[in-house]
Amino acid sequence: MGNVLNILFCLSLLYLATTTRVTAYLKVFVLQSILLFFIVMLPLLNHISVFTLLLPLTILVVKAILIPWYIRKKIIYELEINTTIESNIQQFNFLLLSVFSMVAVFVFCNIITKDAAVAPIPFSAAFSSVVIGLYVIIFRKKLIVHVIGFLVMENGIFLLGIAVASEMPFLIELGMLLDIFVVVFLMGIAINRISSTFAADEVSALDKLKN
Amino acid sequence: MEILSKILIYLIFIFAAPLFIGIVNKLKARLTGRIGPSIFQSYYDLRRLMRKETIYATSASFISRVSPVVSFASILFAGMILPIGFTRPLISFNGDLILFAYLLGLSRFFQILGAMDIGSSFEGMGAAREATFAVFAEPIYFFTLGSLAFIFGQTSMYEIFHSITLNDPSFLVFIAVASISVFFLMITETSRMPVDDPNTHLELTMIHEVMILDNSGQDLFLYQYSAYLKILIYATFTSNFFNPFNAQNYALGFFVYLAVMMALIACLVWVETMLGRFKMKSIPQYLLFAASIGILNLLIYSFFKR
Repeated sequence: MGNVLNILFCLSLLYLATTTRVTAYLKVFVLQSILLFFIVMLPLLNHISVFTLLLPLTILVVKAILIPWYIRKKIIYELEINTTIESNIQQFNFLLLSVFSMVAVFVFCNIITKDAAVAPIPFSAAFSSVVIGLYVIIFRKKLIVHVIGFLVMENGIFLLGIAVASEMPFLIELGMLLDIFVVVFLMGIAINRISSTFAADEVSALDKLKN
Repeated sequence: MEILSKILIYLIFIFAAPLFIGIVNKLKARLTGRIGPSIFQSYYDLRRLMRKETIYATSASFISRVSPVVSFASILFAGMILPIGFTRPLISFNGDLILFAYLLGLSRFFQILGAMDIGSSFEGMGAAREATFAVFAEPIYFFTLGSLAFIFGQTSMYEIFHSITLNDPSFLVFIAVASISVFFLMITETSRMPVDDPNTHLELTMIHEVMILDNSGQDLFLYQYSAYLKILIYATFTSNFFNPFNAQNYALGFFVYLAVMMALIACLVWVETMLGRFKMKSIPQYLLFAASIGILNLLIYSFFKR
């Protein structure tokens, strides 16, 4: 069952590489967060306690509700951002690149997890999530999409943590979650400020900023 | 005796092909608030075409005369390889999944050739489009069925579909994902809605229809019938993934097959009603997405086989 969730996670990454809408990106991020919630919950089902529920519930609240709400409400609607994503490379090439990278990641993970006590499918899913998050940051132009790419990357790192360590050091994870939230918050404020004085939401326009 | 029942089932299959599209069109019309044509409309169309005279362009060579027949015949043969529901198909041997793909490819090849032969630049454009999208559609089939063949260690379609069991949940997802990929393939190959609209005759957006624009009479009959057969073949192909009982009982198997087909029709109608057609340039991307689902499946189940 855990593998099912991980496969769905990989599929959501592929969808991320296909679509060109900011709202679709946000929806994929929400879907991934919910999947993460279930992935974390699944091994805990036998011994539920307040302490073990803390992390999954925090993930659910912060990643699936708070951050998407903030981005949707405060950034996309209030700033009236154009919801089509501009890309540095052609969309088809982007998908092609993502698929090839995923293949490479899977083969690579298959080799390195052969003797290690690491669950291979979550490991590869996590790794490809990091890679595709990076691609989103590199090849997309909109600032807000960079934020989502960063969040997807973070999802990947989180999944990596689950794949590598069965017992999660989850104070660290909680700290990380807080960090993410603060980063998104600051980014939102920054975009807000930039757009109030300078009408641009793309990275390529940022180098024109002067004092 | 067994061969007789196989032939009978196959004949029913061929005869029911126009009915399938009739039901889809009727439901589609109902879902958009229209009454729609009768579900037997495709039979009437075929009868009308059958009675009409065939006219050839003056620039057409023998290719134009041959290609409808070859196209139709290869589709018929492809139908013989396909396991319908639970029955063993008429032709079944190791490696027939490749023959199946190439028979469908042959049919398309002759359609393209026939379109180019007439010499109209307009049909040449349609042929070019069809060929381009076929290039992207081919990997979907081979990745999906190839990965299934790889997992089960079988290369015959009958054996592959009968090795499917729906007990293991992760396996279930694999099958569901593979069937989605084949569903995409079906939409592309039979030129249905998000890729190509069979109802519009707008010159700039046609793909399949533009190729048969200059055909008439019995040639057009063969083309139309092969299109109907093709969609039923692909639908059966998709529904074969969900043939859970491995039933040896004819009646039960028949009802399971019918139920799955109905579900598939519902899916098809829903997709066609809800989605607009894609831009021409985003179709390759859509197809690559379907192919990459197949690749993902193959990766997961070949490298991490438990």
